[in-house]
Amino acid sequence: MDWKLRNKEETIVLGVEPAGDSGFIATFGDREAHVVFERLSEHRLRLIVDGRQTSAFVVETAEGKAVMVEGRTFFLADDRAPQMRSRSGTKAGPRTVTPPMPAVVTQILVAAGQTVEQGQALVVVSAMKMDTTLTAPYDGVVTRINVAEGEKVAPKQVLVDIEPGAAGASEDGADGQAS
Amino acid sequence: MGNRMFKKILIANRGEIAVRIMRTCQEMGIATVAVCSDADRLALHTLEADEAVPIGPAEPSKSYLDIDRIVDAARQTGAEAVHPGYGFLAENADFAERCEREGIVFIGPPAQVIRNLGDKLTARRIMQAGGVPIIPGMIDAAENSTAWAAAAERIGFPLLVKASAGGGGKGMRIVERPGDLAEACRAASREAAAAFGNGTIYLEKFLPKSRHVEFQILADGQGRTLHLLERECSIQRRHQKIIEETPSPALSPELRAEMGQATVAAARAAGYVNAGTVEFILDPTGRFYFLEVNTRLQVEHPITEMITGLDLVRHQIEIAAGRPLSLIQDEVRGRGHAIECRIYAEDPEQHFMPSPGRIAYMREPAGPGVRNDCGVYAGCEVPVEYDPILSKLVVHAETRELAIRRMVRALTSYVVLGVRTPMDFLLDVLASAPFQAGETTTDFIAAHFAEWAPDRERMELAAMAYAADAMAPRARSAGPVAAANHPGPWHTLNHWRL
Repeated sequence: MDWKLRNKEETIVLGVEPAGDSGFIATFGDREAHVVFERLSEHRLRLIVDGRQTSAFVVETAEGKAVMVEGRTFFLADDRAPQMRSRSGTKAGPRTVTPPMPAVVTQILVAAGQTVEQGQALVVVSAMKMDTTLTAPYDGVVTRINVAEGEKVAPKQVLVDIEPGAAGASEDGADGQAS
Repeated sequence: MGNRMFKKILIANRGEIAVRIMRTCQEMGIATVAVCSDADRLALHTLEADEAVPIGPAEPSKSYLDIDRIVDAARQTGAEAVHPGYGFLAENADFAERCEREGIVFIGPPAQVIRNLGDKLTARRIMQAGGVPIIPGMIDAAENSTAWAAAAERIGFPLLVKASAGGGGKGMRIVERPGDLAEACRAASREAAAAFGNGTIYLEKFLPKSRHVEFQILADGQGRTLHLLERECSIQRRHQKIIEETPSPALSPELRAEMGQATVAAARAAGYVNAGTVEFILDPTGRFYFLEVNTRLQVEHPITEMITGLDLVRHQIEIAAGRPLSLIQDEVRGRGHAIECRIYAEDPEQHFMPSPGRIAYMREPAGPGVRNDCGVYAGCEVPVEYDPILSKLVVHAETRELAIRRMVRALTSYVVLGVRTPMDFLLDVLASAPFQAGETTTDFIAAHFAEWAPDRERMELAAMAYAADAMAPRARSAGPVAAANHPGPWHTLNHWRL
């Protein structure tokens, strides 16, 4: 059976063929490894890979599994699962205005009805003394501000609704919002 | 105060430092009071104390920074002394003064000393008068571009514009050319005013490729002032320290003795009492200059404790209780090498963005020469409102090389699940040739690790672990573990009757 796992933009194909009760042959391309495994607790697994023993620590997260092996952390998601998306980097351009981590809204820079340009600053959120400015993913008009200053927000929560449209195409007398 | 020791101390802080301070109090038989915001109701420091007093909402200004609430908590619980930890109110002269007025002992230097040393220009004047070398530059404030230009001509370019009222890189600018000076001063002043409520700036010579070396002070206020050797803190990112070590690879025994003497001179010049740290800049030619005094116990104090065998918090408490230091300078010896790595809840793959959340699982490193000052536990929530430091991982070994290996072992076995941590980044820094060679100047991260990405070497192992995790059955959630292959007596004696 083939597993397709994604780590950021990279896909890893892992062939798994059971071998005994608690073992399998792992295949990466044309290389093989013999793996014996045993669960030690909810988050800890014992692995013996080609005779070398190690521990792996795993936890489920919203975007897949976080796996820690020998001091290194990898986020892996099953590529075949529906609706699974890789952890988006801050540049990947979500089409919604949403914070990259749980945070507190510190400043709302626009108002409903205002025309905005792609890249224009909309909301400043703060987490652990670090400020992040969320910007407009495209040109448009702000139709609704869904949060207030001081409110706690989380990833996937849409903070500002923007109706897409070319800048300057709206009928409000918005002066040129050069950012 | 004489020989009487406090019976109860309130720790006006949170997280790992609050836990660390409480440990010494426990060893001294002193009752501990924790203060906790709403976000810290079940934090480790709250749970470890003998009593915990809630002090308000998560936001620091409404809780940990609220002097009235802290003082009320002390009175309410009968705490005779307050330990401020680091950050928050630790270097707040108003807080120290308020404690003095209320008859609560502030475990630290007198308020006036905090005030003097908290202003960089005042500190520079004190040090100059005390015969401590200071970075060439201004010692008095100036308000206009003519005065700045005149000072700049004396100092020479490149130079540094700095805020007098604070640090952390705020209100700081490097200026390469005279034409940029006026605007840099104005911008720095605005930033300083916003950050510290005081826009006073001054100019100093810029010393590139320098090391940041600090010395620990201990002064009993009864005539004895000592230094407890140095710490090298050059591995920094965005003005935040991430790796510290002692001894500094750059100090010969002669230079150490000279800087130690300057440290004691600085402490005496300032009238220092209790524990503190004198920071120096060491340039590539081996000349050192006073930078500033931190009037608090520092984050990285454990590495000094490891090489000297001393408990700094214990000394702080004893000095605050009026006990003279019985330690003399000659007895202060460093042995071996210690390194500290700060473990933050942050993602090194996302430009070290904070990573708050619930810790699902933790396994702390252990073994000879390993100390982890930790402020969290498996199952606890790391809140968004505070500095995301989870723990300080400290190792001690006979030599620098052995200490590096020990830190590598410790980092490799340190597991935190649920929030992202920078163990992999730290491992790469420690493995790097410049670090191994001791080339730890303040531009280390910028020069060698500006664009770090994790190595993929163990990716396949992680993929195998992913598959194994999916395939390995989960344990039954409740009830006793089923007997293995050999049934016990209760299974075999089926029809036993009395």
